[in-house]
Amino acid sequence: MTAIEATGLTVGERLKSLDLALPKGCLAAVMGPNGAGKSTLLQALAGLLPAKGKVHWQGRDLKKIPILDRGRLLAWLPQESHAEFAFPVRDVVVQGRYAWDDEDQGVDQILERLDLCHLAKRPVTRLSGGERQRVFLARALATEAPIQLWDEPISQLDARHALEVLRLGRQLAEQGATVLMSVHDLRLVRFMDQVLVLKDGELRANGAPNEVFTPELILEVFGVQARWENAMVLELP
Amino acid sequence: MKRWPAPTLFLSLLLVAAILASLGIGEMGFSPREVIQALAGRGDELTRTVLWDVRLPRTLVGIAAGAGLAASGVAMQAFFRNPLASPGLLGVSSGGAMGAVLVLAFGIGQTSLFTVPLASILGAFIATGAVMALAHKGASTEHLILAGVALNALFGAVTSFLLSLTAGQFQVSGQILFWLMGGIENRTWAHVWMGLPGVLVACFLMLPLGRRLNIFSLGEASAQSLGVDVKRLRWELIILSTVLTALATATAGVVGFVGLVVPHLLRLLFGPDHRHLVPLSMLGGAAFVLICDLPTRCLSSGMRLGVVTAIAGGPFLLYLLRRRT
Repeated sequence: MTAIEATGLTVGERLKSLDLALPKGCLAAVMGPNGAGKSTLLQALAGLLPAKGKVHWQGRDLKKIPILDRGRLLAWLPQESHAEFAFPVRDVVVQGRYAWDDEDQGVDQILERLDLCHLAKRPVTRLSGGERQRVFLARALATEAPIQLWDEPISQLDARHALEVLRLGRQLAEQGATVLMSVHDLRLVRFMDQVLVLKDGELRANGAPNEVFTPELILEVFGVQARWENAMVLELP
Repeated sequence: MKRWPAPTLFLSLLLVAAILASLGIGEMGFSPREVIQALAGRGDELTRTVLWDVRLPRTLVGIAAGAGLAASGVAMQAFFRNPLASPGLLGVSSGGAMGAVLVLAFGIGQTSLFTVPLASILGAFIATGAVMALAHKGASTEHLILAGVALNALFGAVTSFLLSLTAGQFQVSGQILFWLMGGIENRTWAHVWMGLPGVLVACFLMLPLGRRLNIFSLGEASAQSLGVDVKRLRWELIILSTVLTALATATAGVVGFVGLVVPHLLRLLFGPDHRHLVPLSMLGGAAFVLICDLPTRCLSSGMRLGVVTAIAGGPFLLYLLRRRT
């Protein structure tokens, strides 16, 4: 079953008539150079930008899904999360339960899963960039939404937390969720089931990493030579 | 909701004390017992007359203006995601005052009880629209303050022009000066009916917005993705905060800093959760205005409410700006 599908998705000059579909239980990455349209794609798929074309979530036309239901079906993690008001970390994570109209369901487990228990009472304004990124990721998880769109969720994280977020994405996919995240590190493609490659608002490749992520594509899209070498591989213990 | 009862109790008691002081202190002093007796219809007739016809309208207008301005401040701060946004600083109060002054200067203020408040609401909406055009949401503090400076200057110029036009008409220019300086003396029951019911309704409508305000204040797009109807919430915030500022201004003139100082101080003391902050600000704002009104009765006749709130709030704003830099 298709979890999220777009047909002719267009956002001004930033995204040009994209067609894509992600199945249920899939961990996918959207990659591309700066300004390729990755964030725009995620926001358009989340229904947060005025866009032309069709978007379907679990077979339902996005335009016909009531706003509250959207909060239960899809979670979007912004690239940068600013906080002007000093809410305690736990209160921010609880916000993810808004569409369910409850306060606590699963929040403590999520805090533990993202290694945030010791920060639960700390004001979100007094966190490092990486810590704040994890807090807002925890809020996205608290929604229990089966479609998770994360915009650069690991850009500010240290090696261990980055690997943990990737493992979390994998676990969610195994439980039937669909996770689409934008990432910059091309080497992370090995963790993914599907990769979407964007350049200048156009989809240049879409498929299993070992099929589409060729050195020729990398050279064309990113302008760098790719070759395989023995290198240090980082894994969680 | 753990931190909810203690601050509410504290601010409720503070408000009750401020009400008793506001009713009791003045040229004729009354003890709290005399105040309560007179309000219950007992005691001597002079006390009852002073309390019912002079002091009570003044106190009720003060409560409406204080609660309205503070609630409006909370809403604007959440809307602009900036703790320095407030009706006075952004020029919404002066927009409201300009509207009121305009109808007074052209002699149509007395046509109906509602002419002045309606003109004030219109002026405040014009100001809110201009602020929204000049400083988009999430705008920096500098942008917001500059937009406020520009609007305050513009509305101030129009108001000064109207003042100079009416310089010969003592009564009209006196009324205009009233709006510029802010004050709740010589208020009548007409002013109470003009402001209080509207403020109560708007405050009542703002109370359930707390949880959505929390989410909205951390980002508009992410609030929408969590299931908040952002478009509707934005309109609710714009309308409620503007109506509250306008009604406060229509009945008490331009009373600055209440919408800035009260929510900010309460946020520092009790945290940013809007489910608590909104009602606490209403209580705190009402108490703050009544307390600031006390020196105007005891000190020289030039001491107006707007002057006292500015003396109390000005240094606080400077402190906040210093803290942020």
